[in-house]
Amino acid sequence: MLDKFCRIVILFFAACLLITSGRAAGFTASLDRDTITLGEQATLSLKFDGIQPQNAPALPAVAGLQFQYVGPSSSFSFINGQTSSSITYNYIVAPQRDGEFVVPGMRVDVNGQQFSSSSLKLTVSKANAPTAAAVNSGSEVAFLKFVSPKNKIYIGEPVVGRLDLYLRDDVQNFGNFQLTGAPAAGFSPGKIAELQSQRRRVQVGNRVYTIIPLAVPLTAVRTGPLTLGPFTASAVVVLPPQNEGGDPFFRQFFNQGEQKQVILATDPVNVESLPLPEQNKPENFTGAVGNYTMTATAGPTNVTVGDPITVRVQISGNGAFDGVTLPAQDAWREFKTYPPTTKLETSDQFGFQGTKTFEQIISPQNSDVHELPPLTFSFFNPDDGQYHTLTQAPVPLVVKAAGASPMPTIAANKNSTPENQPPQDILPIKENLGTLVTESSPLVAQPAFLAAQAVPVLAFLAAFVWRKRTDSLANNPRLRRQRAVAQLIASGMDDLKKYAAENKPDEFFAALFRLMQEQLGERLDCPASAITENVIDEHSVLRGAPKTTLDSLRELFQLCNQARYAPVRGTAELNSVAAKFEKTVGELQEVKA
Amino acid sequence: MKASWSRICRRRGNESHTKTLEASHAVSCGILVVLGALVFAGDLFAADVATDFSAANRLYAEGKFSDAATAYGNMLQTGTRSPSLLFNAGNAEFKSGHLGMAITAYRQAEQLSPRDAELRANLAFVRNQVQGATVRESRWQSWIGTLSLNEWAMLATALFWLTFALLIARQLRPAIVPKLQSVTRLAVVLTVFSSIMVTLQAANHFSKSTAVVTASGATARSGPFDEAQNAFTMHDGAELSVLDRHGDWVQVADGSGKTGWLPVKQVEILPGA
Repeated sequence: MLDKFCRIVILFFAACLLITSGRAAGFTASLDRDTITLGEQATLSLKFDGIQPQNAPALPAVAGLQFQYVGPSSSFSFINGQTSSSITYNYIVAPQRDGEFVVPGMRVDVNGQQFSSSSLKLTVSKANAPTAAAVNSGSEVAFLKFVSPKNKIYIGEPVVGRLDLYLRDDVQNFGNFQLTGAPAAGFSPGKIAELQSQRRRVQVGNRVYTIIPLAVPLTAVRTGPLTLGPFTASAVVVLPPQNEGGDPFFRQFFNQGEQKQVILATDPVNVESLPLPEQNKPENFTGAVGNYTMTATAGPTNVTVGDPITVRVQISGNGAFDGVTLPAQDAWREFKTYPPTTKLETSDQFGFQGTKTFEQIISPQNSDVHELPPLTFSFFNPDDGQYHTLTQAPVPLVVKAAGASPMPTIAANKNSTPENQPPQDILPIKENLGTLVTESSPLVAQPAFLAAQAVPVLAFLAAFVWRKRTDSLANNPRLRRQRAVAQLIASGMDDLKKYAAENKPDEFFAALFRLMQEQLGERLDCPASAITENVIDEHSVLRGAPKTTLDSLRELFQLCNQARYAPVRGTAELNSVAAKFEKTVGELQEVKA
Repeated sequence: MKASWSRICRRRGNESHTKTLEASHAVSCGILVVLGALVFAGDLFAADVATDFSAANRLYAEGKFSDAATAYGNMLQTGTRSPSLLFNAGNAEFKSGHLGMAITAYRQAEQLSPRDAELRANLAFVRNQVQGATVRESRWQSWIGTLSLNEWAMLATALFWLTFALLIARQLRPAIVPKLQSVTRLAVVLTVFSSIMVTLQAANHFSKSTAVVTASGATARSGPFDEAQNAFTMHDGAELSVLDRHGDWVQVADGSGKTGWLPVKQVEILPGA
């Protein structure tokens, strides 16, 4: 299915090409109009019938005209079996001046065929300001008016002219406002800016106009009669549609209005630029025109000869700040001065109002300097036509001689340099590298170092605890006996096991009896020699002991007694007696004494 | 060197009779070999540094001060530090006309070797060349600075340990308490004093900073941004107290109490006042 469709499309275009190639090819150049006003634009069209060049043709250069390629447009028609196609390359033609212009004929080469067009004539007329009658009649949709603040100005005096754009009350919108000409020979123009807050409506003749004011900052740079304007501009305004037909309900939603390009021009304005008067011109006048005030500070004021002092001068006011410079101060002969730095802070959009700050470093050259001499600044005020000189009061200074400050004591130089003479140079380099040091944080910031400081503290605490325990033992005989008996029992157990292993029953039971006396004596807090089997039943302390313990004790006492008369026992039996004794002693030690 | 370490290890191995002893000797031998390798590597590094140091010294002697300053700077960038290296770097920077860099090097050397008379002399000489108001250490700070922070810390530690050793001896041998009485009291007083010194030095080191101007004619501004108004101008080598930092700007105060903001790239920040 797709293959079939593609085949049909290809055949169709092939047929078209055949038909087209059979038609006569042509190339024509045309202008949409042959007369325009300066500020308007015409459209140049290069049309190719039945042929298609690879690229848009290059246009010949015409002095006073600017061409801007817009893009191509193509058409294809199929009428009564006759097919035709064409491609048109469009250019905007913008004149730079008024006059007669000729766009010469062009020759183009398309697929080896040469085509040529005829030359075109374009007349560009000057835009003129509308007459007063036309303005008053209300026939002008929009017009421009330039208002100069003064007719006489001084050279260097900054002024702000006003360019008023008048828009009739039926103009729904406007845009693409372009100032096409702003002749101001003899002036240094600034950046034109709209004065948003000053829009207003006025009655002109029998129509109401909205004024959109534009500020034109200007500074006269030449003396003599000067002319401002005519300023020309173009804009696109949107007017109500001529055709008011249709449903009013839909018209309110789809009413686009009609766009119309308007060319605007002002009448020229003559201004006389006056030179600055030579009379009473101050000597230190450097060209500052305006109205200014001055403040100045200096610091530090207590210095040594050669020390820097920063002088800060602020000049504020209205005027052309480009001409405001800090004049050379002749009274500063005793100071070494350095070029000042400047900084301008403007408070209006034209740069005519603000503060210019100068910072200059100066250094006193001798200790006889006692003040910073008065600082002067002169300017010409165009409002009163007079020169003015501002003077800042002198700043008291304390300047010490260079040798007045004590030299640092240099221990190493005492032997190498004469007494009371400062060293003339640094001491020489060291030949020996010395000990290399690893780059590390200070000891007090190292955790290991800080942790190590706990060692003596912990050692002291251990010694302190040991001392306390030792003292405690020394003051408690009962505890001391308890520990001594525990030690005796531990060693006695070894003896018992030894006697059992060597099968020495006499020594075994003698040792056993002695150990039992010692342990019971300690528990009952009485002499060991006083311990017999009878204490088991008599002493109250042992009444709290388990019955099995007491029975074991009795049995052990009886075994000791029987050993004096009984025949010799074996090692195994002695070992079992020792184990029983060990168990009984353990139980006995748990009895509360 | 490796053969001698092997002989030592073999001899020690022959003397052992049990497997445990052999294992422990093997570990010991391993540690000794590693320590030996570290010492050997350290010797090689020191030899390289000494060679570079001598080369930089030759440049200085030939009057190529900028080249010498670069050579010393390259050594310092590798992390190598020695009072002599920093001293020579300061000399080379001074001879190259960089007062701020010279003062920075001298002050860094001073932290390692605070009682070096030659160092102090050169630092004082270079400081005397610096124009304008600058922050100088007080007499008290100068006195504390006769010992570095680490030296104060070591001294305080030694006295601290001595004091506790005496206190421990009192616990272990109460009989000698009367004999140690005066010594212990003196040790406690010295420990407290040295601890206060360490605290003051540490506070100075960690909580205060000094900015040494390394750019000629640095202009302090009233705020930490390029568009801020000029506050005052300083000369190369001026030493300023650091009050605050904000991004790439540092707030400084000069000797007369004026404050302003300087780009960090125009100063060298050093610890301590």
